Amino acid sequence: MVQKGYRKYVSLLAFVAPAFILYALFLLIPTINGLYYSLTNWNGLNPSYQFVGLDNFIELFTEDPYFLDSIWFTLKYVVCMVIFQNVIALLIAVLIESRTKSKGLFRTLFFMPNMLSLIISAFMWTFIFTQVFPQLAERTVLTFLGQAWIGDPKFSFLAILIVSLWNGVGYMMIIYLAGLQGVPQHLKEAAVIDGANIYQQFWHVTLPMITHAITICLFLTLNGAFKVYEVVYGLTGGGPGRSTQVITMNIFEEAFSNNYRYGYASAKSVILFLIVLVFTVIQLRLTKRKEIES
Amino acid sequence: MKKIASLMTSLTLVAALLAGCGSGGNGGNGASSPNSTDSNVGSGGKSVTLKVFIAQPRFKEQYDKLAADFTAMMKETQNTDVTVQLELPNSDNAAQILKTRLASNDAPDVFSLHAINELPTFYKAGYLEDLSDQPFVDVLLEDVKKSVTTTDGKVVGVPLETMSWGYLYNKDLFEQYKLEVPTTVAELREVAEQLKANGETPFLLSYKEAWIPQLVLPLAVGALMKTGNEDFVDRMNKDEGSFQEMKEMFTVFDLISEYGTDRALEVGGDDGAAKFAAGEAAMWLQGPWYAETILKSNPDMSFGVAPLPINDDPNATLINLSASTTLAVSQASKQKDVAKAFLNFVMSEEYSSGLFESLMFNPTATVHTYESYPWVDDATVYVKEGKAYQDPSIPQAVKDEVGKGLQSYFAGQMTQDEVLDALDKAWKSFNKVNQ
Repeated sequence: MVQKGYRKYVSLLAFVAPAFILYALFLLIPTINGLYYSLTNWNGLNPSYQFVGLDNFIELFTEDPYFLDSIWFTLKYVVCMVIFQNVIALLIAVLIESRTKSKGLFRTLFFMPNMLSLIISAFMWTFIFTQVFPQLAERTVLTFLGQAWIGDPKFSFLAILIVSLWNGVGYMMIIYLAGLQGVPQHLKEAAVIDGANIYQQFWHVTLPMITHAITICLFLTLNGAFKVYEVVYGLTGGGPGRSTQVITMNIFEEAFSNNYRYGYASAKSVILFLIVLVFTVIQLRLTKRKEIES
Repeated sequence: MKKIASLMTSLTLVAALLAGCGSGGNGGNGASSPNSTDSNVGSGGKSVTLKVFIAQPRFKEQYDKLAADFTAMMKETQNTDVTVQLELPNSDNAAQILKTRLASNDAPDVFSLHAINELPTFYKAGYLEDLSDQPFVDVLLEDVKKSVTTTDGKVVGVPLETMSWGYLYNKDLFEQYKLEVPTTVAELREVAEQLKANGETPFLLSYKEAWIPQLVLPLAVGALMKTGNEDFVDRMNKDEGSFQEMKEMFTVFDLISEYGTDRALEVGGDDGAAKFAAGEAAMWLQGPWYAETILKSNPDMSFGVAPLPINDDPNATLINLSASTTLAVSQASKQKDVAKAFLNFVMSEEYSSGLFESLMFNPTATVHTYESYPWVDDATVYVKEGKAYQDPSIPQAVKDEVGKGLQSYFAGQMTQDEVLDALDKAWKSFNKVNQ
């Protein structure tokens, strides 16, 4: 029986509605509101506020060095995270996949840090960096562990990176593992018969076959790295001074401490949204093109 | 009825969400209507619900008792049935909750604010009721009253918590090496030298959290304003001053850093309290609000509060006296009379002393006659001699900035002038935003 045109849409809408209403209430409408507030000078408290047009946006690019610094710092973090998180995750996945025994054990071990919330990992590592490492440096030959990991601006970036990687690699590893298991055996065998060595196999057979996994992982790491907050908050609090302040932290500071410039902070969030949007669109375009099916 | 009320509440919240909270004045009153409107009950008396919002969940027991006693008192004297709805949110998000409630026209009748940081802003936004004509005003201590008085001379709150602070020092160590509490920077250096010579670390540094290095600013500004630069804050508010006038604060900050413990930027407040309690250093730039934490890790600890020297003028070595948690009445409240009665009850002669003692707060009014803690007494001696000043009202944005600036300065990333310039800029942008 052929359904009438509109009835098809009614049932479709009925199925989508519960999710869509929640999505609209808690995400879509606040987002649009945020866009509107970014054009005002509301302070989060006063009942009255003015519409200031693009003033907020002009100010944050011309008069706010802290915001620009935080963008640079975040970009640095994003680049490092996207590269290292994926390389390490893929490496671990390949190593685990190459084992014949105890795959499950290693998979669980590497995935475990991901089960902890980031903020708890950050607090745990704060203890390791400030208490365990100095003790280790004192009692063993590992003196390089003794310097101030969190208090020294030169090393705090490294500390943040270590904790983020420790926590995040496991999840990407699972995705890569799934991808690796999907690589058809016959292609590998064919390559072996053609005389390909193990590296050639990896580069020319395995890697092209898991590009869809790479797409997902790149997307997730890129997105997550831009929105980083908890790790930095838990480890350094953006300090010392503002040397490890990320965009999200700068926005939070503007809206909820400082001068409570809610409108101005909304403008900053809009910028963050645009940055993430542009980067992910470019990334998806590029990697999608490379995906192939067997 | 309850179901309807909660439905109305959620609807109001949703409506507020949709309306974007900001449009003001039009939000529904559904949430508060069913119970709180005065209605006659069988006994002939009135029945009223008073919503009280205090951001101090750690004192739940005491406030529950206060609510019960207030209900009993109102029943007895005015034949009114008062139900006190206590809300004690965590102080971390209390400000957010309160702002949302105010913006959505669902304000509690009585709420707590920080006297220096929040009271002026909320008064300016028109959320606070003028309480100048209330009886409690007459019993407040003069120095405390100033901190709940607006710039146009109106009293808008009942100060609950006040602090007199400078820095903390380990009395046992001072006694052991026969040291006197220093009154000038030179003497402070002397004391630090002697401690060092005896193998003790003079100062505990805990600069991981930006608000701790920040403490040096109110101390320096308050002392320098009291000894000459009286109109500093006023001029800063008019974009006419500069923090260059306060450059002296680096003298004492550098001195403390020079004689301080290692790894300052990795030690937070709680770690600091534990280290101080363990006797790792003799002095700590910190207020007595850590007393409880310190005593928890070392119940036998004997420590005192002393004023921090800023320069070589002994008259500038003063105690900072500030009010923090303050109760205010909402302008939009429908039970202003009951709310005011509540505040007067909190400060009443027969009740107040016991309440404040159970809360372990400092005396804020003449009706307070209880015994206080040794470190409170230490500070009270200075306050009574007039060696104290009212905590200068520095905008929160500037305080945040100085904390971060001093962290960077300590880490060698900023110079003194860069820190001071950043502070000037922060105050200017505060002026711009809060015209």
